[in-house]
Order: sequence, then structure tokens, then C-alpha cells
Amino acid sequence: MLTQAVIKDLTAIVGSKNIITNQAGLAAYGYDATLMSQRPVGIVFPRSTEDASALVKYANRAGLVMVPRGAGTNLSGGSLPVENSLVICVSRMTRILEIDPKNFTATVEVGLVNFDLQEELEKHGYYYPPDPASYKASTLGGNIAECSGGPRCFKYGVTRDYILGLEVVLPSGKVIEVGGKNFKSEFRYDLTRLLVGSEGTLGLVTKAILRILPKPFAKRTMLAIYNKVEDASLTVADIVAAGIIPTTLEMMDNLLINTADEHVKLGLPRDAGALLIIEVDGYEVDLDNQVRLIEELCNKADVRSFKVATSQAEADQLWLARRTVIGSVGRRRPSYSLQDVTIPRSTFPQMVDAILACSRRYDLPIGILAHAGDGNFHPLVLFDERDADEVVRVHKAEVDLIRDALALGGTMSGEHGIGVLKKEYLDLEFTDVAIEAFRKVKRSFDPTAMLNRGKIVDIAAEG
Amino acid sequence: MAKEGKKSSTLDEVIKELYLCNKCGFCQTACKVYKTDLNESFSARGRVQLIKGVAEGRLPVDEGFRDAVNSCLLCQECAVACPSGVKPHELVLAARRYMQQTEGLPLDKKIILGTLADPFRRKVAFSTARFLRNNVSNRIEGFNELKGIDVRGMPIDKVGFIDQVPELNKAQASKGRVGFFVGCFINHSLAKTGHAIVKVLNKNAIDVVVPKKQLCCGTPQNAYGDFELAKKNARKNIRLFKDLDAVVTGCGSCGAMLKKEYLHLFADEPEFLPEVEAFAQKIFDFSAYVMHEIKLDPEKFKVFNHKVTYHDGCHMARGLKITKEPREILKSIPRIEYVELREADRCCGAAGLFQSYFYEIAKDISRQKVQNIENTGADIIVTGCPACVHRIQGSLRLAGKEQKVVHLADLLAEAYQ
Repeated sequence: MLTQAVIKDLTAIVGSKNIITNQAGLAAYGYDATLMSQRPVGIVFPRSTEDASALVKYANRAGLVMVPRGAGTNLSGGSLPVENSLVICVSRMTRILEIDPKNFTATVEVGLVNFDLQEELEKHGYYYPPDPASYKASTLGGNIAECSGGPRCFKYGVTRDYILGLEVVLPSGKVIEVGGKNFKSEFRYDLTRLLVGSEGTLGLVTKAILRILPKPFAKRTMLAIYNKVEDASLTVADIVAAGIIPTTLEMMDNLLINTADEHVKLGLPRDAGALLIIEVDGYEVDLDNQVRLIEELCNKADVRSFKVATSQAEADQLWLARRTVIGSVGRRRPSYSLQDVTIPRSTFPQMVDAILACSRRYDLPIGILAHAGDGNFHPLVLFDERDADEVVRVHKAEVDLIRDALALGGTMSGEHGIGVLKKEYLDLEFTDVAIEAFRKVKRSFDPTAMLNRGKIVDIAAEG
Repeated sequence: MAKEGKKSSTLDEVIKELYLCNKCGFCQTACKVYKTDLNESFSARGRVQLIKGVAEGRLPVDEGFRDAVNSCLLCQECAVACPSGVKPHELVLAARRYMQQTEGLPLDKKIILGTLADPFRRKVAFSTARFLRNNVSNRIEGFNELKGIDVRGMPIDKVGFIDQVPELNKAQASKGRVGFFVGCFINHSLAKTGHAIVKVLNKNAIDVVVPKKQLCCGTPQNAYGDFELAKKNARKNIRLFKDLDAVVTGCGSCGAMLKKEYLHLFADEPEFLPEVEAFAQKIFDFSAYVMHEIKLDPEKFKVFNHKVTYHDGCHMARGLKITKEPREILKSIPRIEYVELREADRCCGAAGLFQSYFYEIAKDISRQKVQNIENTGADIIVTGCPACVHRIQGSLRLAGKEQKVVHLADLLAEAYQ
């Protein structure tokens, strides 16, 4: 609980409308999209970098651990409050400061929702490539903290590849700017790229200069439906081997086809083993040839049906099904455990086999969703959090999936981050020396762990 | 006073659905209140999680909880967006019901809901409001708005529509007969719309019966958990329209209440339910009735040189699921220039009592609606809900804008001239 004196001081910084200390409010900020929860002692909403800096300085003096937060859609517990923490929520910092098409940049406050930026860019004929499935709700600040990916990663890369500069409130409250509008800038050291994906453990990002791109001239969206998930995974391997780089190459298995279709009502075949959504973009003249090549590879893998969307509306519906599929599994079981293991592309079929084996081993339904082009899997283990026996099995399945991915030369996290959820598995992937190096990075920014304490790695607070 | 951890059957009934929410947060973008206030407790996900907390006894019913639950527009956008199929508005209704049962309604709400439900008290209230407005507030210079509501411009009819017309309004060469469920807003503040509905139907050879004893549909009472009062009126309304084969409404909220919500309300009375179902079957929104049952003849319309856009009321679009009919009808009028409104089916900021209890957020929501209207360049905004007519017209007027907001029936009645 915050004392009245602290509440008064915080109110003096942000104003009475930008602080929450009532029980309901604390409960509402005590969760993210994971199953974990922990109530903070207060929530404050900075309206500017000055507010944020003043809040961080004050929290340091008052000895309050701070947890940065955007929309709270994250899947690793990275924005989850810790004990006795103050949530600094950037959701009300939503201004677009500049859209500069001539220089391919947009400068924004980080509480801006990804989708809201896309809508604004659209008016200029531009877009911002990173598009996590949560892009309608998640903030750019959250995307930066987690280094979010999204379906378009295969061709266009992840958030880190689109951040040119940042304004950051350091854990001390001092404000620095890193990077800038220049497309090239060879700073030693590259703090911009270090801060992106640091899950709010090194600094509180307040503004960002983003790289934007002109919208592609043309697109083709294809839907390939398979009898067996193994056939779909063969196509993935073949497309990659053929040197084709689609914008997106997404896979959903039978379980997910069913839940997605219950939500979006596309009329997908409910008995299909898997489907691939494949999209290519570029110049109009190039696309038909690419589509033909892809169709041939699909046929080679015994595709049941192959179809090119005939209208934007049809393509949009497919994307709606894909983007909402994670939430839609609630129609089967109330809880899910979602991984984001990533493996080298060429080993895609082996990872599919490993997931199927894991599902059998623990007698748990596991939906297979994958940004297949990236080798990035989202196995969705479905269960009921109220069933203790199931929870134990889910936990075992999680570890097995990570071990399977690592055995293939993969990584435990492709895009959701470590947060608190995967912290305990860190030593499966990294040596003690590497983990100690992580700690040293954390200490050099935040020696007393005031900012997002307990995320990624623990350091002994050297207060 | 906070009541810690008290469980009740109302919340137990929905506990399964509370567990369906896996907190993905995709509803945030659909929640107009969240998008305006950017506070999680005022989002669909936040409300669902808080209700779950109370249902499980982890959270007390306190001011923060009440605000979260009462700040819902019941616009149902979140239910459309939810991948898991959660219907947050139904959970909010269950929570409001729970609060009504466990701690009762606050006095102001009790008076308002009771007044709306009682025809005599309602009449007195509207007359008093009219008197005060004309003789007191209008004489105070600069007194234009009360909490974002356009007091000066809000029409209040001296005599209610129901008292202005005979029970049977015959067409010249009658081919059919419908009942007209008038609703409080049309009755007391948009009598002209009531006349327009009768006129359009009469022009198409339909007799219109306006039962004099009809009561409030029950939307306000239902929305705040007073199911008993809502049911009492509902039962009377159902019986009152028993002998009519079709009943037309001119309000999306009344329509959705009569056609959809009555079925929920009487779900626990299986012996009465068939009668409720039969009643629901014969409810038609005005636009659906004129389009599907009488098929308008655009030849008879005069040329209409206006740029027009359409706003979907929440209950019209997501309660009654009527979105095509009004647009089709508008586009059929000769020379009309129809433009689509951005976020046409998102709340205008009225949402019943929401606009006075959360007026700052409501004003912001209305401001967005006004901006979207400005961007269309339309000079007439058509809608099917009287509450939206008032809210949007009031917000435009307070912003110094000239555009006119009319009910679809008003526009059609004019097109027949």
C-alpha cells in the first residue's frame, strides 16, 4: 500500500486523473495475457517524457520498484507487476509527433497502439512492417520492449530492424536519446538495438523513431489446405529450399482451424489437417510467377486445395482468422500455455513431429500455430488452470518443447521474450558465463534493479 | 460500504463464461470507453477480470468496481471482437444485477428508472423538465449544456405523441395493419418522428395501431439490473400487442429489448416463454419493415439534393443486427448523395445514463463522432435511434456545427412530400 504522502507526491507529478490506487484499479493492472497475476501498489500514467522522468526520479527516492506497461497484452509476464511495485503505464502517451515519408520515418510516443499508427500511415501510402498478432491492441512501446515479430517477419524482419532511434528514461530518471533519423549511423555502442527487446529492464522508452516503408504495389494471398500437418510442413521446407521469400508463411493445424473458424466463420474445412496462409508482395508483374511456383510446391506435397484470394476483403478475413486464433482457443479449454520456440527453417518438419509427440506423451491437446517461414512455432497447450494434475503435465510439456527446439539448434523465444515465464529455463539455452554477462548489462544500466525487477535475469540488489 | 467476497447465484451463473476470457486484450480496441480513457478498469477485459474477482470472492464491491461495471456502454462491440466468444456485456449485466440485489440501486438511479417505468410519473417528469428548461435554464445566459447534454436544444414535446394520435391511424386504402411501439424518447421528445413513422406506413397502405397503454420497453431497468421492474412492464407490453401480427419500433434500443432481451428476461419462466417468443417474432425495426414487408417505391419520392450519412446505433447494429436496410433505403432515394461514416457503428456517447454519470468520457466519445461526421462532408446524418438523434444533434450544436440529425422515418416522410 502506498502511503497518503506518496500518493500526494505522485499526484503532484501526474495529476489526480493519472493515478490509480483503488483496489479494483490495482487488480485490473495485476495481469497481462499470461495466467500469472500480482497486484501493484499503484498505477501512474505519464503524459510526457518530463512526467516519466519525474516519476522515475521520485520512485527511486521513495524506493519503489517500477514496472513499465503498455496495453498489457504480453505473453511472457514482462509487464506483470512485481511485489510492491508501481506500474508506469504509457497508454496515454499516444501522440504521433511526425510522419516523414520523404525520409521513411515516423516519430511517435510509445503508448500509441500499433494499429492506430498503421491507420495513420495508410493515409500517406506507407506502413510499419512489424505486425504482431496483437497489433490492434498492443502499444509500440510494448512491441519495442519485447522486440515483437509478426506474420510479415519472414520477409521484412522484426521490430529491432525498424527502430532507428529512441528517447529513453534511464532507471536513474535521466533522459537520453539514442540513434536518430539517419538510416545509417554506426555508433559504438549500439544502444538502440540493445534497448529494443530488453523488456523494460534497462530503461523506460518514451519516444521512438520508426522506419516506415511505402506500401507494396501488389499482393497475393494464398490459402493452401492439407489433409495432414506433415504435408503442410513439407511445403514450408520446400518453399524455403526453393529460395522463395514470401511476405508471410503461416501455418495452423486442425485444432486451430476449428477454433478460428468458430470465431470468424470463414467456412474452412473442419476436417483438414493443416492450412498455410501464404502471401507474396512486390511488383504486379512478378507475382503471378511466384504464385505458380508456390502452387507447384504445394501440389508436390499433396495439397488438398490451393486458392488465391480474389479480393482484399477475402484476404482480410483470412488474416482476421489468423490474428485472432490464439484467443479463439478459449472456445475449447479455458487456459492455454503459449510458447514461441524458434528453430532453423530447414528443421521445420522435425519440430512439428516433436510437438505431435509431446501432445501424445502428456495427453494434452496442443494446437500448432507457426510463423512457418521464420521457423517460429506457437504451440498452444490447452488445459484448465483449475485442474492441478493438468497444470503439472503442462509444465512438463513446456520444458520438453524448449528442449526439443534447442536440440534442433533453435531458441526458446522467438518473439515473446523471457519475462518471468521463461526465466527458469534460461540455463537450458545459455551457459553460466553468458547469463552472468546478461546480469552485467542489467547492472550497468540499473544496479539496484529498480526497473522491471526480476524480469529476464535476477541480480542481487546492490542498494 | 465494501462487501468483501460475497457470492451470489447471479455471478455463479456466469462463472463459466468468466473463465472463457483468456485476457488476450483484443477487446481493448473495440471498447470505445477504453480507447477514450485508456484505463484498464474501463475496458472490456478489465471489467470481466474484476467481475471474476468479485465472483471468486477475491475483490470487494467498492467504488472502483462499481465505476468499472457502470462505465460499460453495453454497445456489444467487445463481444464481436472477442476470439473466445465471451460476451462481456452480458457479464456486465450480471454484475449490475448482482449489485442491485446485494446492495440495491443508488437513490438517483432508483428514481430515474422508476420514473421511466411509470407512465404517469414519466409524463410529469418530462413536463417538469420542459417547464424548467423554458422558464429557468433558458433564461440564464450561457447555460447551454449540462454535463455535455444540449439542454437548450433538446426538444421536449408539450403533449406526448401517444396522446396526440388516435389509437387507430387508418391508411387511405388499407392493405394491412401494424402496431407501433412508440418508446419513451419518441413519445416525449420526438413526436414528429412518431408522426413520420405513421405517415410513411399510411402512405404505403398500412393502418397503424398505437395502443394507449403501452409502457417503457424496460431497457433502462434491465441495463441496471432491476429485472423485476423490467419484467413487470414487459409482461404488460407483450399482452397489450397480443392481437397484432406485426409491431414496428422506431428505436434500436426498444427494438433490441423487445426482440432479444425479453427472451433473456423470461428465460426462467418456461411456461410464459412461448408467448415471449411469439412476441419477439413480430417485432420489426421501422427500416426492416418498410424494406422487407412493404417494399418502398422510390418513384414516389421527390428529388432529394442532400449529402447524407448514416450512424448505426449500438443496439440497432449489434442488438437487432440491422445495418443494411437503412443504407439500402437511403441509397434508393433519387439524387441523394450517400457517404459512409467512419466508425459508423460505434457508440455516439449517449448510452442511456452513461452520458450523465461518465460525462467527461461521453463528451470525448461524442467529439470523435462529430469529427467523423465533419470528415464526411454530409449535411444530414440519419440514424434509427432517438437517443442517438439527441446526442449527436446536441453535440453538433454545442460544437457550433450546422448539420442536421434526423431519424430515417423523418427523412422518408419528407421524401414523400
